Amino acid sequence: MTHPPAGPTLPDIAGIGLRAPHYSEVLEQRPALGWVEVHSENFFGGGASLHTLLQVAQHYPVSLHGVGMGLASPDPLDAGHLRELRRLCDAVGPASVSEHLCWNTVGGVAINDLLPFPYTRDALRHVAGRVQQVQDILGRRILIENLSYYIAFRESEMREEEFLAELVAHSGCGILFDVNNLFVNAVNLGVDAQAFIRGIPADAVGEYHLAGPSMMDGCLVDTHSAPVYDAAWALYEDALRHIGKRPTLIEWDVDIPALPVLQREACKAQQRMDAMDSCQASLSRGRERERLPSLPEGERVGERG
Amino acid sequence: MTNWADTLARFSAVVRTGAEFDAGAIACPNYPAARGVEVYRNNYRGNLHDALVGAYPVIRQLVGEEFFRLLAKRFIEGHPSRSGNLHRYGGELADFLGRFENTRHIPYLPDMARLEWAYHRAYFAPDVPPFDLARLADIAPEAYAGLRWRLHPGCTLLVSGFPVAAIWRAHQDDEDFRIDLDRGGEHLLVHRKDLRPDIADIAPAELHWLAQLQQDMAMGAATEATLAAHPDFDVAAALRRWLAQGVLVDFETAKGERS
Repeated sequence: MTHPPAGPTLPDIAGIGLRAPHYSEVLEQRPALGWVEVHSENFFGGGASLHTLLQVAQHYPVSLHGVGMGLASPDPLDAGHLRELRRLCDAVGPASVSEHLCWNTVGGVAINDLLPFPYTRDALRHVAGRVQQVQDILGRRILIENLSYYIAFRESEMREEEFLAELVAHSGCGILFDVNNLFVNAVNLGVDAQAFIRGIPADAVGEYHLAGPSMMDGCLVDTHSAPVYDAAWALYEDALRHIGKRPTLIEWDVDIPALPVLQREACKAQQRMDAMDSCQASLSRGRERERLPSLPEGERVGERG
Repeated sequence: MTNWADTLARFSAVVRTGAEFDAGAIACPNYPAARGVEVYRNNYRGNLHDALVGAYPVIRQLVGEEFFRLLAKRFIEGHPSRSGNLHRYGGELADFLGRFENTRHIPYLPDMARLEWAYHRAYFAPDVPPFDLARLADIAPEAYAGLRWRLHPGCTLLVSGFPVAAIWRAHQDDEDFRIDLDRGGEHLLVHRKDLRPDIADIAPAELHWLAQLQQDMAMGAATEATLAAHPDFDVAAALRRWLAQGVLVDFETAKGERS
């Protein structure tokens, strides 16, 4: 089986989800943003929206994040949708392309949402084939995002992280690890977050997502409408330790705040990445010193110093 | 279909039509399974409602937010989404409004929906490179009549018995408007102009001609049909105008060659 080339990548720094209310501010003032991510479907077609994105792409690395492909749908992939995504990729030259581990269409009828499905061997073969189909058409590797979901199917034969690991092995795709989605699933459905972080193949993770959900009638709904929760930051720190530093996105889609609020959230992610760096630097210095015979025993820095 | 696909077909009905779910198939340890299902039902209706709000802002102003919510609910019940791309949802609203008893007192509402959908389509239409006039120089004059022109994919031609574009323009700044409905109808071209959708008045003869071309009629036959209805029609002026405006973007010769 041939896997597609990894292609270009995003820088290992924090970025933000760029939405319409901030287009003109970003283009006119060029604020300090590591990179930006947009929803692919909003730029299908041309006109003013594509023109804006092409301008943005001249100043920032761009990640194209799809919400409408429905990779796990039983129905055939929408050829028109794939064509439009290919055309958009050719126009923008994105640093990353990603989709969700979800479905949206069955029997010709779409539910325009990110829907969960039973994690079975049959579903795995189906989804892996379709990921390859998309990667063949785009000529590049795509990242697949773990889902937030509100029900789990008893029919599942494996956990989501096992499904993702198999999907990586079968299709050569990468993983977009949405830390907030994992947090939401842990709260709502008792998903074992530690097992998830340790269960996905670290080398395949190409990006993290962070966002803030809202509690509604006893269910934590993934609204992307609030600052990142402390518990989600803790999971992010755990992911940084076990998986490593990766491009990290702050997503905010409802009640979108002023740009500086998004930048502050991105800074919080960056500080955690930088803390990893200084930690790694200390480890390196530690190793340097270990080679010096004169160093007293007590000053050695441990593995997780 | 395999088992998991059957499960999704059942779940689709649960979310869209309120069909009962099989509680035994769903695991929800921390709240009733019905609560988890409710999130998806709410998202389904909410996302389609928001798509209609995005495509039909003037209809929403005309009927009010509250009534629009009811109207959207009724529309959604009878019109499932057919595409994973939410921007394609809602094209049948004009026909729906034509049959909707509760808005009969606003007779221009269906035409307004047609206008707004045309605007929405023009917004999301792909970019097409401008037509290279040099290509026409290679066509022998006697072959002109056989040319089949392609219109820009974002173009819609509309004829209304009401001043819908005037009403539409009056609603762009959210001000009170007074427009005499008896002032007559309009002939409109909705298209992409300088990256953005544009609503332009168009002469009836030119609309007639472009409409024939859009239905794949060869230029000669389209011109004859237009002249029969509009003897003053000037085909040379029309051709120049709509090439310059980026409305005519490509042609096929009678032999089927697309240059």
